[in-house]
Amino acid sequence: MEALPQTLLFGILRSGLYALSALGLAISLGVIGVVNFAHGEFVMLGAYLGFWLYVVLSGPLGLGPEVSPLVIVLGIPLSAIVLFALGRGIFRFTLRPLLGRRELDQMLLTFGLAILVQNLAVIVLSPQALDANLGWRFELLPVGPVSVTYARLAAFAVSMALVVGVYALLARSQLGKQMRAVAQNRLGAQVVGINVDRVYEIAFGLSLALAGAAGVMYVFQTQVSPFLGLATILKAFSIVVLAGLGNLFGVLWASLLLGIAEQLVSQYVPGGAALRDGLFFLIIFAVLVVRPGGLRRAHG
Amino acid sequence: MRRELAAWAAFLVLVAALPLSGIGSDRYLMLLANVMLMFMALALSWDVVARTGQLSLAHGAFFGLGAYTVALGHKYAALHPLLGLPLAALAGALVALALGIVTLRLRGIYFAIATLAFAEVLRTVALQLPDLTGGPVGISMPPLFDGDRVASYYLAIAIFVAALALSLGVRHSRAHYAVTAIRANETVAAVMGVNVVRTKVLTFTASAVVATLAGAFYMPFITHTDPHDAFDISRSVAALVFPIFGGLYTTAGPVLGTVVLRAFEEYLRVTPPWKEGYQVVYGAVIVIAVLFIPRGVLGLVQRYAPRAGALLGRRPRGSVPGTPSGPRS
Repeated sequence: MEALPQTLLFGILRSGLYALSALGLAISLGVIGVVNFAHGEFVMLGAYLGFWLYVVLSGPLGLGPEVSPLVIVLGIPLSAIVLFALGRGIFRFTLRPLLGRRELDQMLLTFGLAILVQNLAVIVLSPQALDANLGWRFELLPVGPVSVTYARLAAFAVSMALVVGVYALLARSQLGKQMRAVAQNRLGAQVVGINVDRVYEIAFGLSLALAGAAGVMYVFQTQVSPFLGLATILKAFSIVVLAGLGNLFGVLWASLLLGIAEQLVSQYVPGGAALRDGLFFLIIFAVLVVRPGGLRRAHG
Repeated sequence: MRRELAAWAAFLVLVAALPLSGIGSDRYLMLLANVMLMFMALALSWDVVARTGQLSLAHGAFFGLGAYTVALGHKYAALHPLLGLPLAALAGALVALALGIVTLRLRGIYFAIATLAFAEVLRTVALQLPDLTGGPVGISMPPLFDGDRVASYYLAIAIFVAALALSLGVRHSRAHYAVTAIRANETVAAVMGVNVVRTKVLTFTASAVVATLAGAFYMPFITHTDPHDAFDISRSVAALVFPIFGGLYTTAGPVLGTVVLRAFEEYLRVTPPWKEGYQVVYGAVIVIAVLFIPRGVLGLVQRYAPRAGALLGRRPRGSVPGTPSGPRS
C-alpha cells in the first residue's frame, strides 16, 4: 500500500504553510515579547488581498485559470508590503505605548485588535466565504509513487523559500543580528547603540508581512472568510509552544511535527478527523505538562 | 467598606423589586433582565482572574461547559436543571483545576494561549461526538420553571449574588493582598511569602465555577444550544470587555460595563451595518480602553465625581494598569 509515503508527504507539504504562519508569531513573541492574538487576522487580510488579486487578474484582465503563478508572484510582495506598513503603524501607535506596561495589557490589546479586525471584515467584506477557482488547486502532479496537487506543492515550496529567507536574514544581516540581540537582552542591545524601538517596529512589520504572505498562499488551500484567522492562529500557537516561546529556529521542525502528526492521525486513527482538529491542543497541553520550555532549549 | 456593602444591598433590593415595577409581564424585557444578570456574573468572574494579572480566554468555554453539563444531565439522567447547577459547578471546578495546575505555573502568556486553545477544543469535542452531544444539531431541554421568566430571574439573581460574593470576598479579605501583589510582580509576591501558584489556581477555579454556573443557568433558560452557540468566543469577549469598559479590578466596574454595553449590543445586533459584526465595537472598546482609559468608566467617575465614586467602591490601589511592572520574567 502506498498510504504511508503519501501520508508522510502530505504531512510535510502541510507543514510549510504552518511554518510560515507560525514564524511571524514567533518573531513578535521572541523579539518584542508580545503575544499577538491578532496574528491570524492578518493572515486573513493577506488572504483577502490574494483573493482580490485573483479576481482582478481573472476578471478585468481576462486571464484564465493559469493565473495561479501570477497570484503568487505578484500577490506575495503586494501583501507583504501592505502588511509590513500596517504592522509598523500598529506597532507605533498601539503597542509601543504599552511596552513598559504589564503583560495583561499587551495581551488585551492584541486580543482587542483581533476582535476589531475580524468583525470589521465581517461588516465590510461580508461573512460569506469566498472560493478562488484557481486551476492549480486540483491539477495533479505525480511525485514518485504518489501524486499531489500543484497548489499544495506551491504552498510548500513558496513557504519554505520565505522561511529559509527569513532565517538567512536573521542569521546573517545586520538587521537580523540586531533583532536577535534585542531579543536576548534589550538593555544590552541599547547599551551597544542599537535603536531598540526601530528594531521592534521593523520586527513587528516583518511579522505581519509573513502573515500576509501566508494569507496569499491560503487562497490556494481553502476558502477565504473573515473566520480564517482563529483556525490559523491556534495551530500557530501550538507550533510556537512546541518550539519553545521565542525560539525562531525551532518553528520549522515543530511545524513538520504538527503537519505529519495531523496527517498520520487522520489517516490511521479511526474517526481521526476529530482528533486531528484537536491535536494542536493536545500538543500545547502535553508540552506544558512535560517540558514547558519547548522540546529544545529556547535561545530567543 | 460598610458603605460599599450597603450600596450593594440597596442595589440587590432594587434588582429584586424590578419585576414588580410592571416589566414582569413583558417577556422581552424579562429576557433582557435575565441575560443581563447572567452576563454580570460572567464579567465579575472574569475580573477576579484578571486581578492576578492573568488573561483568561476560556470563560466562554466554561459557560458552554456549564450549559452542556446541565443538558447532558437532563438527557441521560433526567436531572432537574436546579440539580444540574451543582453538577455543572463540580465539572467546572475539576476542569479549571486541571487547566490551572498545568498552565498557571508558567508565564501568563502560556495561560492565555492555553485558555484560548481550550475553548476551541471543547467546541471541537462537542461537534465530533454526535452520539453523546447531538453534534452540530445541538441539544435541547424543557424550559426552566415552565418558561416563567420572573421565576428564572430570581435564579439569575442567585447566581449574580454568588459572583458578587466572590468579587467582594476577594476584595475585602487577605486574598486581596496576595492577588494584588501577584499582579504587581510575581517574584516579589513569592518573596513576601505569597503562594503564587496556589493563589492563582484557586482564584481561577472559583472564577470558573461562577462562569460555569452562568452557563448552567443559560441552558434551561434558553432551552436549546449547539456547539457553535455554547462555545462561541463572543462570550469570552463579553466576559472581558465588560470589566475593561466599566473598570478593571473592581466590583462595580464589571456590573456597570455589562449594563451599558449589553444594552448597546441589543441595539447594534438589529441595526445595519453592524448586525453580525457588532463585536467590532467591543474590539474598539478594548483597544481604546487599554490605551487611554485603563481604569474604565468607573475610573472616570471616581476622578471627576469622587463622591459618587466612593459609593461604588475604593479605587484599586497600588499597581494599576499604566504603571510599569517589574522586569518581565
